[in-house]
Amino acid sequence: MSLVPCFGLPSLEMKILLAILSLCLSGSTALAQTQLRFVSWRSEAAAVWDQLIAGFESGHPGAKVVREVGPHSSTEFHDLVTQKLRNRDPEMDVFFMDVIWPGEFAAAGWALPLDEYFSVPQQKEFLTAPIEANRYQGRIYGVPLFVDAGMLYFRKDLLAKYRLPPPRTWPALVDQAKLILARERDPYLTGYSAQFKQYEGLVCNMMEFVISNGAALWDEQQLKSTLASGQATQAVRFVRDQIIRTISHRGVLAYQEPESLALFTQGKALFHRNWPYAWEVANDPQRSKVAGHVGVMPLPSFPGHKSVAALGGWQLGISRFSRQPRLAWQFVEYMASHDAQKQIALATGRGPARAALYRDAEVLAKHPHFSARYETFILAEPRPRTPVYLPLSNIMQRYFSSAIAIPDSNIDQLAGVATRDMDRVLDLLRERPRP
Amino acid sequence: MKSSSDPVWRFLAPSFLFVVLFSLYPIIESFRLSFYRMILTLPWLGQKFVGWENYQDLFSDPVALQSLLTSMAFVAVTTPMEVLLGLGMALVLNESFRGRGWLRAIVLVPWAIPTVVASQMWRFIFNDRYGLFNFVLFGDATDRYWAPLAEPGLALLSIMVADIWKTSSFAALIILAGLQGIPRELYEAASIDGAGAWQKFRHITLPLVKPALLLALLFRTIDALKVFDLVFVMTQGGPADATNVLQFYGYKKSFAEGMIGYGSTIAVAVFLLSLILSLIYIRLLGARLLAQERPT
Repeated sequence: MSLVPCFGLPSLEMKILLAILSLCLSGSTALAQTQLRFVSWRSEAAAVWDQLIAGFESGHPGAKVVREVGPHSSTEFHDLVTQKLRNRDPEMDVFFMDVIWPGEFAAAGWALPLDEYFSVPQQKEFLTAPIEANRYQGRIYGVPLFVDAGMLYFRKDLLAKYRLPPPRTWPALVDQAKLILARERDPYLTGYSAQFKQYEGLVCNMMEFVISNGAALWDEQQLKSTLASGQATQAVRFVRDQIIRTISHRGVLAYQEPESLALFTQGKALFHRNWPYAWEVANDPQRSKVAGHVGVMPLPSFPGHKSVAALGGWQLGISRFSRQPRLAWQFVEYMASHDAQKQIALATGRGPARAALYRDAEVLAKHPHFSARYETFILAEPRPRTPVYLPLSNIMQRYFSSAIAIPDSNIDQLAGVATRDMDRVLDLLRERPRP
Repeated sequence: MKSSSDPVWRFLAPSFLFVVLFSLYPIIESFRLSFYRMILTLPWLGQKFVGWENYQDLFSDPVALQSLLTSMAFVAVTTPMEVLLGLGMALVLNESFRGRGWLRAIVLVPWAIPTVVASQMWRFIFNDRYGLFNFVLFGDATDRYWAPLAEPGLALLSIMVADIWKTSSFAALIILAGLQGIPRELYEAASIDGAGAWQKFRHITLPLVKPALLLALLFRTIDALKVFDLVFVMTQGGPADATNVLQFYGYKKSFAEGMIGYGSTIAVAVFLLSLILSLIYIRLLGARLLAQERPT
């Protein structure tokens, strides 16, 4: 469709009219090929994604992948995708899913169960934790793309200066930080920089403390909150008294990932909790003052318990309202294939979801730390799967933030309130008809 | 009686339809949904009529009551401040001096900046390590730096400051319009009678600008009651729920948690609250206007 004829027409109205007309027409000509609509956020390696998509299109003549780029923040991306799903919008076939959504999307009837396409032997090629996160009531609803897990970053140079080994337990971490802060006498230096703002990241950070003290967020079988247990409140009290009051400055209570990482890359934090992407940033001399002085290891635990990392990451899901689920699946299968994941991993350093890539010579040559990261990923703990995850998360965010941000908070009482509120939400699940 | 063929109706129809479609229908739908239990992520619960249950829940929900208080505190602090500052700005801008046009444009800049951008800017200003706020207060004494957005006692105050900075100029604009409607002769007559600046302000400006002041107060109150974007960008309701204003709580319930029934109930509560406040203001405002028109 060409706009040439209207250049001769002087009237603005006519031009607008023709422009609208041509838009309508171009819409209808595009229908000749099959459009596959893909909603994602913008990747750090956009060029690789474009290449992969072009590769898919050339392998599927007649198929055109139309990308819609959404916001990067998980909460806002959730708003966008659920808006389309609750409107049963057929204009979205494939979408990114945060690791905490499959339960919700499955129960709401928004995500297509993929069992007929995604066989168990195929699933076995992926890491176990993200596959489990995509399973809901025995069926699978997403294909893992990236895996994230909380890790502890530390200043190798500072620990070496005081001849300290990387800490295995939380109390050891606090003791080392106290010692180094006292000797360094830098008022700007903070002991532990992490994500303690009231938002989803707070739940990840706090669950790592709670579960590495042998407690749990809630009991998935009994549908009861377990936040008021002695071990859970002990872990929360530790964060308030030992981390926030003793070795961190209060600013961490307003930090999300970027601020907490900025403090670390400026050389003003001794220990730092973040997702794997922080490794590339912290070791890039362009962006980091501590490049080359950074160590990374699994998060500490409380004495006598196991280290725990919150599982994060992104999956590909297919909308139940898609008019071409088969083509959508072919696209998902292609994007999650060994080759595609390898290219993305090489370009971005994001952890791929396929286990074999952690033994791939080419990937390891580019990212030698992947082998250590693998240890964390297989231990990573998914946040419990449930269609009411977000209401529960909001209650926990309120509880954790109140417990650690108020210096003399009554943790037992706050935990009691949170337990009562969570149990009320969990009770909604008891009304479920048996499938 | 006007018949339906009267052209007046044809001219009114588009805007009438617009109001029905985009205001009336959503309001009625919110009212209806507030009587149902509807949870998007639990579709097997269906859409169950529960009568006043959501409202009972609302009144016994300590988080909702706390966020109501937070919203009220926000309104009580920001609106008078904004109207007072707006009055001050309007009085200055109403004088004639060199560069007045420029100053008028500059004063409007904060209001013209999209709130999301302004909120992000204030988030940086209040950052505990590299924020301008700390640098201005303490300079290089980094050990004394505050973290306003991390303190439950200061976070709401920080958002109030951002809101006052952003919208005072809107109040100024309305009040300036009011000031310009005051006839010059009144001031000239007062000068001849020997009135000073304060007397002119107290006995001419203030009474005559009162309707504009009330109008500014009305707009700001309703807007402040609905504050959302500042909270969304700056604090997400934290720390310790200290900035969880009613509108943000409703958003979390409806959009994040999918609790459509309860979320609608909160929306209706905000609507009724602003309706009541508007009615009170309009009463005051209407009385003033009538009182002015009567002595003819």
